[in-house]
Amino acid sequence: MSISLDIKYAARLLHKKPVFTVLTVLIVAIGLGLTLYTYSLLSSLVFKPLVLNNDKPVISIEGEFNESHLYRIGVDPFDLLRVRNEMDDLQDFGIYIEGTALIGKPDNNTGTRKFNAAFIEWNVFEFAGVQPILGRGFTPEDHFEGAEPVMVLSHQVWQDYFLAKEDVVGSVIMADAIATRIIGVMPEGFAFPATAQTWHPIEQNYLTPTVRTRERFYAYAHLKDNADFSTFEHKLSVLNKSIVESLPENMLWRRSVDGGYLVTLPFKKASIPQFYSIFITMFVVVFLILLLACINVGNLLLARVNERFKEIAIRVALGVPRKRLILQMLWESIFICTVGGFIAILLAGWGLELSNSVFEQMYAVNQQKPFWWHVTLDSDAILVLIIAVIMMIAITGLIPAWRALSGDFNAVLRDGTRGAQGKKAANASKALVISEIFLSCVVLVIATILLASSYSAGRADYGVETQNRITATIELPSENYKIRYGTEHQDSDTLNRTAVYYKLKTELEQMPNIEAVSFMSSLPGTGEGASYFEIEGRAALVYNENPASNSEVVARDSWRAIGMKVIQGRDFDHRDISATEATIIINESIAKEFFPDGDAVGHRVRRIGENRQGDWLTIIGVVSDTFHGSAMKTSSETYTSYYLLDTIGRSRIDIAIHYVGQQALAQKSLQQAINNVDDNVTSYHLQSYDDLIAQPMILVSAISKVFLLCGVIAVFLAASGIYAVAANGITQRTQEIGVRRALGASDNNIMRLFLTQAVSQLLIGLSIGVAISLWVVNSMTDTLVINDASYVIGLFGIPLLIIIMVLFATYVPTRKVVLMEPSFALHHD
Amino acid sequence: MNNNIVADQQPLVELGDIKKVFFTDDVETHALNNINLTINKGEYLSITGPSGCGKSTLLSLLGLLDTANSGSYQLAGHDVSSLNRDDRSKIRNKEIGFIFQSFNLISDLSVAENVELPLTYRTDLTAQQRGAMVGDSLEKVDMLHRANHFPSQLSGGQQQRVAVARAISGKPSIILADEPTGNLDSKNAQIVMALLDELHREGATICMVTHDPRSAARAQRMIEVFDGKIVADQSTEITAAIAV
Repeated sequence: MSISLDIKYAARLLHKKPVFTVLTVLIVAIGLGLTLYTYSLLSSLVFKPLVLNNDKPVISIEGEFNESHLYRIGVDPFDLLRVRNEMDDLQDFGIYIEGTALIGKPDNNTGTRKFNAAFIEWNVFEFAGVQPILGRGFTPEDHFEGAEPVMVLSHQVWQDYFLAKEDVVGSVIMADAIATRIIGVMPEGFAFPATAQTWHPIEQNYLTPTVRTRERFYAYAHLKDNADFSTFEHKLSVLNKSIVESLPENMLWRRSVDGGYLVTLPFKKASIPQFYSIFITMFVVVFLILLLACINVGNLLLARVNERFKEIAIRVALGVPRKRLILQMLWESIFICTVGGFIAILLAGWGLELSNSVFEQMYAVNQQKPFWWHVTLDSDAILVLIIAVIMMIAITGLIPAWRALSGDFNAVLRDGTRGAQGKKAANASKALVISEIFLSCVVLVIATILLASSYSAGRADYGVETQNRITATIELPSENYKIRYGTEHQDSDTLNRTAVYYKLKTELEQMPNIEAVSFMSSLPGTGEGASYFEIEGRAALVYNENPASNSEVVARDSWRAIGMKVIQGRDFDHRDISATEATIIINESIAKEFFPDGDAVGHRVRRIGENRQGDWLTIIGVVSDTFHGSAMKTSSETYTSYYLLDTIGRSRIDIAIHYVGQQALAQKSLQQAINNVDDNVTSYHLQSYDDLIAQPMILVSAISKVFLLCGVIAVFLAASGIYAVAANGITQRTQEIGVRRALGASDNNIMRLFLTQAVSQLLIGLSIGVAISLWVVNSMTDTLVINDASYVIGLFGIPLLIIIMVLFATYVPTRKVVLMEPSFALHHD
Repeated sequence: MNNNIVADQQPLVELGDIKKVFFTDDVETHALNNINLTINKGEYLSITGPSGCGKSTLLSLLGLLDTANSGSYQLAGHDVSSLNRDDRSKIRNKEIGFIFQSFNLISDLSVAENVELPLTYRTDLTAQQRGAMVGDSLEKVDMLHRANHFPSQLSGGQQQRVAVARAISGKPSIILADEPTGNLDSKNAQIVMALLDELHREGATICMVTHDPRSAARAQRMIEVFDGKIVADQSTEITAAIAV
């Protein structure tokens, strides 16, 4: 009965102040909604181990993440064999490499299509605990030399490309121009290791290599029941040391500068090294927002308790038990946090739906979305929400309850005055303001820096014309265009391969709707990474003190199609194919920096690494600057050097086509040209140049929007919170102000007193906030470029905004109390 | 008793036709109605009356803590009824010392700092002068030995003695005391009242609001307020005589 009375009373109080109720519920809903969303996102993408149908987490064994290139690196299968043989903690183990497969149907009248392929060990399906729904999986014999080439299809490829025909199993198709038998179809959704659409057994010599190779493989594994990850990590680091020490001189490029090579990681974490720090930052920011929300709601309820102090004193005088009083204080929190929790589920669900569409958009062209990148609200997330709600009730309810219990009720009842604010209450009030300042500062600085960086990256000048340009990747079936390296046929094979691209270029450029065609290993705006180069006569003492540049392979006459220009010297031509000394073209930035007299042409440079160096290359030309890679990635370079395609030959290359008229017609023209040249050639990742540049930015841009949302929420929470905390603190000191006024303090004296206190709180809060922000932002600079303007906005603009907010939040309520007649202030209740 | 201390006839406070009305929602409350009162220098005056009669409002007006709706107020020959907020602050600081029922010491400040507080609002005093004035005041109330303590470390009686020291530290023209013994036990009340007597003997002008007839009887003159009007104004000697 008494509980129902308390509930009724709490409901009446909340109903009586609808603005307060709505505001607090909204703050709770936002804080919890963001937490729930971030937890669901990060647990699906990063933290929750990948277990497949087995209950054991999958781990990855691979090369140390290369921060100068920002992509994962595989290891020599020779070294993976040592891991397999020497690591007792491993229970299941397999190796793989991901790539593409050009698949042609037996009738071959629908053209060859590119699919994501996993070249993998036979045990992959047993490892995953998933078997084909049609046909069979692999056997160890499928690896043997001379065994019939076989492959397994994903459900999606079977449905879309083979039209779900059941007789596809057993049929022979062309995979990379090799007759290959389809032996099975996997169930829907299965794409292990990450994005596989077809599975192919690797050759036996990769499983049991007897010599070192230049290949880069990855391994998947389970640990034994009695093994734990950190112990295994340690054991692997010991093995790594031994392997690195035994690397022959020509393989030293495998190791990093500090001796790193083999590492093990949880499988999901291994797949997102470039986004990991952003995700962690997001987690930190959201946690801080939740704290901010807790402090705000706690403070609002605290202010309410202060308002109700006399009522509480009366209840105490009437003999209310302590437990009952605490419960009465908690009812409001329980209501606010529970309703907020329900709204949070809706908000988080909406956010996750949006995220799924962003993921689809990100990977629409290259189909590289890892199969676990589908986020939903699962039971774990609901459990986290319940725990968060309980914690919020505790934080937001117990603080006011403590305040209610710690007051001097006798004094309140005796004369209706509280005297000056107690030292504890004053300290609590100061601590609340400082917490609000530093939490707001961290959230806002991080959000602003990320937003400003992503905004400027989105407007970056990549040095190319992108309008009326389409791009694609062209891939040749390697079996038809093999290069027999190290033989007398190497040069002719290389020319045979590159001839396809030039035929395609000629075909296209003869079409009326095509202006020009460019071939480049990675078009400007994409590709990333840098290698050191040495200028003849200017060698640095240590190889890594030489300058570094991005390197691209380019076809002759590729500049005009993307709006680049030859500034000095000449373009590649036939002279360079048969030249006794190889040639190179550099970009304007290199020329300006290292050849300021404009005499770059004729100088010689060479690639250089630890214990290895390339041949000398003569600079024959200088072209206009472009920017390779996303402008938000640290691996992106402004220095670029270009190598001639004809002397290198590539089985896969990017194409950019400058067209007139409709994009769809240009795409059609490309397919027609391919069919005219060789219909075994495949084009994929077909898209406009603008989309190509935007693609790597989609996730960062989406996360930036989350940060923007966090920033807006943080400003709202910070502004309202700082005002509420400051106003509450000042209101509690009304009587003190009355005393000071009675003793002769002028308006200015009082204003100065409170503003000085606000400034000291600002100094403490901002110092902590800026220091933490810098630390967090610094940890993101491994993978993100943060420009100077973003730092200025974040580290000066945000503190300035907070200073204005705090001074305003101090000035307004202080002024209100100062304007009160001292007699009222002295008897303020 | 200090009734033999004769105040000089120079008026320090002159209130003429003071009116104070409070407005709460639609209700108009006449707290003070046509109050005419003169307090001479060196006088010791008590204001009594039932709760809600307007005696605290009268004290607030005397202390420039509030403004009247109409009427005149002369303090030491100067019209203070139309002063602006800052000038009123200056007058409060230099001419008036307050003693409150609930002491109103600032808990974050030490005893010495509390006493020094009104002096810090003056620009004409050096830190050394302030220190000396604080020392004199605390010595007068026998609290010098507690100068570095905080209010929470003192008893109620000690807190009120510190409040008295704060009230006299700036050597004001008049001390206004609002129920100065209301929160004290009889022993401490006796000590505080003795302090006020002592101050009066030394020439201070004191105006005290009190419910306690024994405290009121220590003053030279007693005013009784009822329904916002002064209904009695007589010497405590006469009152005592009537009582006899």
